[in-house]
Amino acid sequence: MKKAQAGWLWGAIVSLLVLAGCGNENAAPSEPEKQARELVMAVSKDIKDMNPHLYTGSMFAQGMLYESLVENTEEGIKPLLAESWEISGDGKVYTFHLRKNVTFHDGAPFNADAVKKNIEAVQHNAAKHSWIKLSTKIASCNVVDEHTVELVLTEPYYPTLVELSMTRPYVFVSPKNFIEGETKDGLNGYSGTGPYRLVEHKAEQSAVFEANEQYWGGAPAIKKITAKVLPAGETTYLALQKGEVNFAFTDDRGANNLDVEAMNQLEQSGKYQIVRSQPMNTNFLAANSSKKESPVHDRAVREALWYAMDRELISKQIFAGTEPPADTLFSSNVNYANVELKQREYAPEKAKQLLEEAGWLAEQAGGVRKKNGAVLAMKLYYDVNSSAQKMEAEWMQDQLKGIGIQLDLIGEESSSIASRRSSGDYDLLFNQTWGLAYDPQSTIAAFTSKSSYYYTTSGIAQADELYKKINDVMVSTEEQARKSLYRDILNIVHEEAVFIPLTNGSVTIVAPKDLQGISFKQTQYELPFERMSFATK
Amino acid sequence: MKWLKNALHDKVAMASFTFLVLIAAAGIFAPFLAPHDPKAVHMDMRFAPASWEYPLGNDQLGRCVLSRLIYGIRPSLLWVLAALVLSVGIGGIVGFVAGYFRGRLDAVLMRLCDVMLSFPGYVMTLAIIGIMGVGLENILIAFVLSKWPWFARVIRTSVRQYAEADYVRFAKAIGISDWQIMTRHIALVATPDIAVIASSSLGSMILQISGFSFLGLGIQAPNAEWGMMLSEAREVMFSRPELMLAPGLAIVLTVCAVNFLADALQTALDPKLGRSRQKPQALVSALDTGISGKSGR
Repeated sequence: MKKAQAGWLWGAIVSLLVLAGCGNENAAPSEPEKQARELVMAVSKDIKDMNPHLYTGSMFAQGMLYESLVENTEEGIKPLLAESWEISGDGKVYTFHLRKNVTFHDGAPFNADAVKKNIEAVQHNAAKHSWIKLSTKIASCNVVDEHTVELVLTEPYYPTLVELSMTRPYVFVSPKNFIEGETKDGLNGYSGTGPYRLVEHKAEQSAVFEANEQYWGGAPAIKKITAKVLPAGETTYLALQKGEVNFAFTDDRGANNLDVEAMNQLEQSGKYQIVRSQPMNTNFLAANSSKKESPVHDRAVREALWYAMDRELISKQIFAGTEPPADTLFSSNVNYANVELKQREYAPEKAKQLLEEAGWLAEQAGGVRKKNGAVLAMKLYYDVNSSAQKMEAEWMQDQLKGIGIQLDLIGEESSSIASRRSSGDYDLLFNQTWGLAYDPQSTIAAFTSKSSYYYTTSGIAQADELYKKINDVMVSTEEQARKSLYRDILNIVHEEAVFIPLTNGSVTIVAPKDLQGISFKQTQYELPFERMSFATK
Repeated sequence: MKWLKNALHDKVAMASFTFLVLIAAAGIFAPFLAPHDPKAVHMDMRFAPASWEYPLGNDQLGRCVLSRLIYGIRPSLLWVLAALVLSVGIGGIVGFVAGYFRGRLDAVLMRLCDVMLSFPGYVMTLAIIGIMGVGLENILIAFVLSKWPWFARVIRTSVRQYAEADYVRFAKAIGISDWQIMTRHIALVATPDIAVIASSSLGSMILQISGFSFLGLGIQAPNAEWGMMLSEAREVMFSRPELMLAPGLAIVLTVCAVNFLADALQTALDPKLGRSRQKPQALVSALDTGISGKSGR
């Protein structure tokens, strides 16, 4: 016991000294000057497996290494590795003319043969890629000549180009890296055609990327980017202050790692700038409509939840205005999502009224409502690593108590929340749409997928109709028909209130003050590092 | 009861004891003492500084920090105490049985303890949380399951020592039942030993439960717990460092009080230790050998 106490004491003294040390270093002239030519970014988790035909790796890193045939931009689909393409009249054959003189990082040429090998490798593992409907529509991939490939589909599928533009799985790895002609069991190297090469990866510590001097689009200005794993927001803040890292962006879980006020302090220090993208996605609560024994199966309850959420307040108080409130699942700047939907403003009285009408009655004022002996209690799962979600959850619990709904909060790791989503073992959980490149088509296609939102949508009255419309919209060839189908789909899920929108999320970047050319892609997962450069003094 | 008198004379021990009793009472009577509902959210008062209405200010959701601190006593101290009593109870029964009856029963029970003790406590707790899910109850169950063998071990040793004493042999000889011997003649003398080990492990258990809650494995939001309050304050560590003070100090003070009390109990119970504080070590050991020499003769 005595020894243990002495240990504690020493621990306390040492940590005080360390803290004091940190303070001193802050005062000393900062380091970034010395390493001005490179970026050191803080990432909340390891980049993991860089095989882009599987899904464990970090997307921002895969986006630096690999490229797709076409690119999704604000102005629509643009050429990338394919310089041009033609679509046959029946919408089933896509012919791509590939960019010439492109090589992989390992020197292998990028040509029609490489495209065919990659696409076939992806198709051999089709079950993994079921979320991307294109994987179920590809009949064959044929080499026409050295720089021309032909993609044949089983039926017309309008989001083909959009899905080909995604970071994974339809991107290209040097065929030399394949193991026994396949990619599904791993790769022996990570050579893509992208602007950066992976030169070093220390698991759970760091990854180093160097500029690809042979990049077809010209060598990037920033020659070296290091990604350091710093899981906690406070360590990231300290590291930014000390200059140990000089770049951070909101990670792909959307878990805002840095406290808003801490970020503002960094900006005020004059060393950093903060850049926010336009809204990229929508944060929402997914309600498990298929869970018959839970009150969340009742549409009136879901609507009441919607009316009881003061989204203005969440936006203002919890996100300090950085995330605007969302009224619909997709904001109106998303393709096909500019449709008239019933507005559900914050109206707790209306929520109470809905519950009363549906037979959920409180025995005494302020008590939890009941219906046929069932208690109006639901479980809400949130990501323990997201302080914003925890705060939102606690705030909701307090709000809903006022209208007689009992909310039980359970914080779990994000992977365990994902597995709850795919097994249907939840009442409510936090989630977000996948970003501009994926909205609405991929997110909507995911309504039918067991691994995504099947349990969220399958319990509603018009589920069959909804699924039929989703299938129809993906193969529709006429713009007008597609618009009306999307309008119907969005109307059904909106009416049923299975996705309760909260705020519109965006990407936030903390970067050195003199970093120029910061821009965004159409997804919250990646950044175009090749366009960045440091201002010359 | 000389040891109790010794303990009463120790001022630090008395202060610690009073402090702990007050804290425990505050926890029990939390609904009467706390000025506000610890879960009531007031978004317009986020991070409000201390005021007359909210003596310790408000947290990130505008909840009353003082009320949360008072309600936090329940999981942080009272439930830990309950888990401790339960594991000491189980350990005590096993220890008594093993130490008194000896033989095969002793061997079997002690091997069982060995198995349990071969896993580090933290690993056991984490494994149980992994199987049964996060939550305060599960951590408390894990505590009971992983701590009892340790208590059984120590209690067995002390029981063994008294079970061989002459007065116990005489009691056996005149045909007093085993049960009576255990309860009347051994339990009382073994109590001080048990009190010492129980109190000294209370401190580490408080720290552990706060640690688990800090990591998000313990009590679930929005219930108040000191470790969790610290974890919440950690997120705004650089913009609102003052939020860490209240829960941090509460943990430090309570654990210190427990440790001082445990130390004082140990000193009070062990006359050798007590004297060694007042007299030079050499003299004490000389005295000791003198005494043992005399009795040996």
